[in-house]
Amino acid sequence: MKKLLEGSRAIAEAVKLCRPQIVAAYPITPQTHIIENLAQMVADGDLAAEFINAESEFAAASIVLGAVAGGSRAFTATASQGLLLMTEVLYNIAGMRLPVVMVCANRAVSAPINIFSDHQDSMTMRDAGWIQLYVESNQEAVDSIIQAYRIAEVCELPVMVCVDGFFLTHTFEPVEIPEQTQVDDFLPPFHFERTLNPSNPFTLGGGSEPDNYLEIRAQQQAALIDAVNVIQAIGADYAKLTGRAYELVDSYFAEQADTVLVVLGSTMGAVREVIDSLREQGQSVGVLRLRCFRPLPAQALVEYLSAAKRIIVIEKAFSAGAGGIVAAEVRAVLQQVGVLIPIDSYIGGLGGRDLKLTIIEDVFHQSSLAKSTADGVFLDLKQPGTATKQE
Amino acid sequence: MGTVKDKTNATTDADVQEIRFHGRGGQGAVSAAALLALAAYEKGYQAQAFPKFGSERRGAPVEAYVRISNQPIRAHNQVYTPNIVVIQDSTLLKSEPVLQGLKANGLIVLNSAHQPSQPEEIENEYRWICLPASQIAETHLGRPLPNTVLLGALAAVTDWDILPGLAQAIENHLAKKGKRITEKNIEALHRGYESALQQGRADSRKEIAP
Repeated sequence: MKKLLEGSRAIAEAVKLCRPQIVAAYPITPQTHIIENLAQMVADGDLAAEFINAESEFAAASIVLGAVAGGSRAFTATASQGLLLMTEVLYNIAGMRLPVVMVCANRAVSAPINIFSDHQDSMTMRDAGWIQLYVESNQEAVDSIIQAYRIAEVCELPVMVCVDGFFLTHTFEPVEIPEQTQVDDFLPPFHFERTLNPSNPFTLGGGSEPDNYLEIRAQQQAALIDAVNVIQAIGADYAKLTGRAYELVDSYFAEQADTVLVVLGSTMGAVREVIDSLREQGQSVGVLRLRCFRPLPAQALVEYLSAAKRIIVIEKAFSAGAGGIVAAEVRAVLQQVGVLIPIDSYIGGLGGRDLKLTIIEDVFHQSSLAKSTADGVFLDLKQPGTATKQE
Repeated sequence: MGTVKDKTNATTDADVQEIRFHGRGGQGAVSAAALLALAAYEKGYQAQAFPKFGSERRGAPVEAYVRISNQPIRAHNQVYTPNIVVIQDSTLLKSEPVLQGLKANGLIVLNSAHQPSQPEEIENEYRWICLPASQIAETHLGRPLPNTVLLGALAAVTDWDILPGLAQAIENHLAKKGKRITEKNIEALHRGYESALQQGRADSRKEIAP
């Protein structure tokens, strides 16, 4: 049954349905409501898990690393500086090929300090070896968390479900929470082949040498590339269970449009509105949302974008000193197959700045007129001296 | 008491009704938005509620938004052109742009004890209703929390038929605070509803139906 729930509550319900045995976290806005809900469920006896209120995000990540290595299903969530503080452990989790699932409640990074949403935190972790799924709605957050456990456990790779802070975590919207029996049918009990066991001792993440480190890293890369197929197969299986289908990318008129916008996350809702309005005006425009950013779904990008005449990437993060991260990767993927389409790179929505429908529509009109392409242009930028002071 | 100025040329968007709550930290704007969305959803509408979080300080200006529609709500943007603004503290009229973007013929629900005539900030193109929600709350709850009173007023001046849904949402929301507090808040809700009705607003209700 559909219920109107706060995003964080819906996320906690989804985590509970996956029967984690260990939940470890350190509170940080805008992740806090997620773990408050989980802590309450444990305290009320509704979730048979141990809740560990860690002393830092570094500790929280270390606890879920140990929990999964010890054979327990685990969950953590964080955001922003908390994710950055986890960095070393996140690489370790991926390197040890531990199926940890976490939620990143996407938030800007300091300095200046800003509690609002953008994608700089999780984008900064794109090379850590985690699968990354960026969701549009709280329904997709719920569904993606449930899928994430199965993806993680099949691939022996960690999965980060990226949920826009506030825009999703603090929004009440209708969400269908699956039945426990449905999730139990979909997600078998956790069984980890390489569980640490004192009666049969071995090492996870032990020392390696120049003669084998490279091979281990290559295996990790191969596993991530192969995960594309697993994510697709599990998405299709989930659709059989719930009727809700999820792919690597989410197209809204992308395959039949001259101009295709590319976005990630909750911005997609606003872009859908803009696409409807532009199409009513006779414009040939669509949008492609990257649901899965790691592994990069190169083949799907080629499929959906090759026929376009112009591509406009709008992203909520950037590589400082370079430019748009997603734009650079889309360019590389298309160039690799010999497709040379003008690609505009826009950066916007940083630190919670609302990507209004009018801004998105303006970007489309600007791009359709421009002879050259935008290269990491900041959207909605105020003129120097007009930015208001922070509170 | 104020008057709701009713105009026949309502320009309400058929697809979605947007409501913006303005309050001060501690007054419960965020909870009010959630309760309204829950009641509307219960009534069969699509609904969305979310806060604009600033510095989370008691007394600081706070905004929260609600969308109510017959269609699924896709955008997660803030509300810029509301059909209704609910102002929990009338001093915000002076200090914050609380009426910014309010649609023509939009509705203002204002909490104020001392508003014998139309406040100068409220232009003629708007309909408005004013009630001493803090005083009503003080009487019923023992604390000047205007939330449930204003929600009752909103139920009276809209065509959403959400009074029972609001009572249910309040009951669920306050379940852990005990029966007495729940009952008093529901009393306050009904007092707000009656107070708005006494101002003769029933005739304007259809104008703001989704």
